[in-house]
Amino acid sequence: MEIDNLLILIPALPLAAFLLLAFFGRALGSRSHWPVVLAFAGSFVFSVLLLLNVQKQLDESNTNGQAQIGYEHVYTLWTWADVNDAYTPHSTATSAATAVAPATPHNFTIDITLRADPLTVFMLCMVTFISTLVAIYSSGYMHGDPGYPRFFTYVALFVFSMTMLVSVSNFLLLYVFWEAVGLCSYLLVGFWYEKPAAAAAGMKAFLVNRVGDFGFAIGIFLIWTTYGTLNFHDTQVAAANGTVQQVAGVLGQTRLANTALYATGGVAVAICLLLMAGACGKSAQFPLHVWLPDAMEGPTPVSALIHAATMVTAGVYMVARCTPLFMASAATPWFTIGSAPVTAQMVVAAIGGFTAILAGTIAITQNDLKRVLAYSTISQLGYMFLALGTGSFLGIVAGMFHLFTHAFFKALLFLGAGSVMHAMGGVIDMRRIGGLRRLMPITCWTFFIGCLALAGLFPFSGFWSKDEILGAVHRQAQTSEGFAGNWYAVLYWVGMITAGMTAFYTFRAFFRTFFGREQIPHEAGHHAHESPTPMTLPLVVLAVPAALIGGYYGLTHGILDFLSQTPSLAYQTVNRAAEKPEFELNLAITSTAIVAAGIALAGFLYLGNRKQVEWFAQLLRPLYLLSYGKFFIDPIYYGLVVWPLRVLANICYWIDRYVIDALVNFVGALPGVCGSVMRSLQNGMVQFYALAMMLGLLVLIGALILWPG
Amino acid sequence: MNEAALLQNSLLVGAALFCIGLVGFLSRRNMIVMFLCAEMMLQGVSVSLVAWGRWHNNWDGQVLVIFILTVAACEAALALALFLMMFQRRENLDIAAWDDLREANLPAYVDHELPAVAEPAPHWPHLTLSGLEPKVDEEEVTHRSHV
Repeated sequence: MEIDNLLILIPALPLAAFLLLAFFGRALGSRSHWPVVLAFAGSFVFSVLLLLNVQKQLDESNTNGQAQIGYEHVYTLWTWADVNDAYTPHSTATSAATAVAPATPHNFTIDITLRADPLTVFMLCMVTFISTLVAIYSSGYMHGDPGYPRFFTYVALFVFSMTMLVSVSNFLLLYVFWEAVGLCSYLLVGFWYEKPAAAAAGMKAFLVNRVGDFGFAIGIFLIWTTYGTLNFHDTQVAAANGTVQQVAGVLGQTRLANTALYATGGVAVAICLLLMAGACGKSAQFPLHVWLPDAMEGPTPVSALIHAATMVTAGVYMVARCTPLFMASAATPWFTIGSAPVTAQMVVAAIGGFTAILAGTIAITQNDLKRVLAYSTISQLGYMFLALGTGSFLGIVAGMFHLFTHAFFKALLFLGAGSVMHAMGGVIDMRRIGGLRRLMPITCWTFFIGCLALAGLFPFSGFWSKDEILGAVHRQAQTSEGFAGNWYAVLYWVGMITAGMTAFYTFRAFFRTFFGREQIPHEAGHHAHESPTPMTLPLVVLAVPAALIGGYYGLTHGILDFLSQTPSLAYQTVNRAAEKPEFELNLAITSTAIVAAGIALAGFLYLGNRKQVEWFAQLLRPLYLLSYGKFFIDPIYYGLVVWPLRVLANICYWIDRYVIDALVNFVGALPGVCGSVMRSLQNGMVQFYALAMMLGLLVLIGALILWPG
Repeated sequence: MNEAALLQNSLLVGAALFCIGLVGFLSRRNMIVMFLCAEMMLQGVSVSLVAWGRWHNNWDGQVLVIFILTVAACEAALALALFLMMFQRRENLDIAAWDDLREANLPAYVDHELPAVAEPAPHWPHLTLSGLEPKVDEEEVTHRSHV
């Protein structure tokens, strides 16, 4: 099939499912999952076809010799906005960077354009695959819920938005679908809206996202003013004098071929940091990570789909897509410590590394299985940003590879947690459940595979991707001079320590849930058995790639080769010093040792008697409290942001109600008052009326006589 | 007396009539007396008009007075017809009884109860007739031949 048709069909099928369910969901009732599952499966098939198509095109262009940087194919559906002479940049703007000479008006044109390039196709395949499995799982998990059609409607809308997000070729449309996935996250996290905690969590997710989106929007504004266009790709417009003018897209072939066309300096750094702010909001990095643990109030399939595999990876996708912008900003430091420059990429890496270790530390003490997995997601996303922040080609591809493997094993872990929750009647607190391995064998052993992958033990998939990340950071630490080298070295050790912590908390959760004394809470009732087939089938299907896919792509470098053809990553200044990652044995041994130590410690503490846990907790009591309280970030935000705003809102409410409304009511009462004065004149007495007439006549005659002229 | 003095005195008389009529109209409660006062106001105006006519030495004033008298006569007919109808509704000639257009929340300024009934007619003793009944000439009773 043609690439254009495939590009349209992949988001169109979930959109059709959404519209069908929006109108006929209630009529479909418990059959609502059929349009969704079929649509997602169709999208997945078309994504794979698109992948094969693109691969074929790549092979052909390789044999024919490359005419363009990387491979991209854009397909314009229609023009959404077209405003002529929308903006005239100042004449002092860098003329090289803007598409046209400064001081000439730019046209604001937004085309609905879909693109097919390796990065997009990669994301599409992953998103549609996980979506299909989660939809099948949900048909079992949400069975009997009164909001069953509504759930699938929202999920269909979400997958439509996510596929469009990775397919569009324009910053504004990216922002539109960025917000759309945020909206779906709100709708789905607050799915059981009658539960106050869920409604509040939905609002928190959306509002914290919005804080990030504010930065992202300003970044987009800066891109518009700097580059004069918001498209990724090059376009051609008919200029006023009849000629055809080339408008170079921000990430288009023209700019990628000529590095001078990228703005450098403060503007570039500002753009990158603002884009990173948006990514922090969406991908739950510090300081905007607070929404993700609370978002576990939503149904578990939602957590698996949105908060493990797809929505939170939108930030990583965006930063990877904007690699040329980050490369252009690397020449200018954001600030200098002493005489050492700190570039935007170093900041990205630092945010990623810090978030990884912060979330890892918090996850060690949490009692709620889903919260452990949520903090684990935040931590792994930190790894991805750490990789993207290295600024080297291998680092960026390692980050995307980790995104890929993480999607599989994290979705597996979340679906497993959902299976446990379903069997335990909604209880997911690890203090109340235990020893479930005989009760739920399939769930237990697929969860085990997921845990091994997350911990990063050889030869499961997490090992390969995490080692590639750590290898890239290590290489960057060795090749950078001076301060930057130290910066990355510190981040390397942060990554190592976090890997150990990851292994520890993952297996702590596993042993507490599935080993030990069998403990079933009373809410389980008759649910306490292995989950039905719609739920266990995706678990088994996901266990296969969670175990094997890392090894396969880690050894064949398939993903690396494929993604290297993305225009943004084929960019010449991306550090391609090492084309293929070497398998560093030292690194592998160190990481395996740390991971094994983490698993051993978890086993020691949680597999046998658990007295040592109490002793440890008492010993490190302040640290334990700090970790269990999530570093008190939520109370700090409450005190710094929420409470002042709430006070301000109350003041405004008071002013509105007692000052402005009083004023309006006063004005409204005036006619009544005047009327009552007038009314008292109507007393029904004829002679009073006659008297009034006389008095009026008197006044009139007096005025006539006395008024001169 | 000279013309100026005559004018001044005539105007005073006219003004006096008008004012008395005005005050009477505003303060009397009997409908017919109110109308009489209104008529008196008209007469006061007529006197003024005649005085001014004499002052300007032409007939204009007196012509207008004729008009006024005519209008007053028509007005009297209408007014008295109205008063008759109003009396038939309320059985009394009190203008204050007609306060239906009063606002609901305002008190009635006049009493709606009639004053206490006067003492009943004295009861004279009824004596039996004595003597013969005199002869009555029917013709003479109805049509007296002499006074």
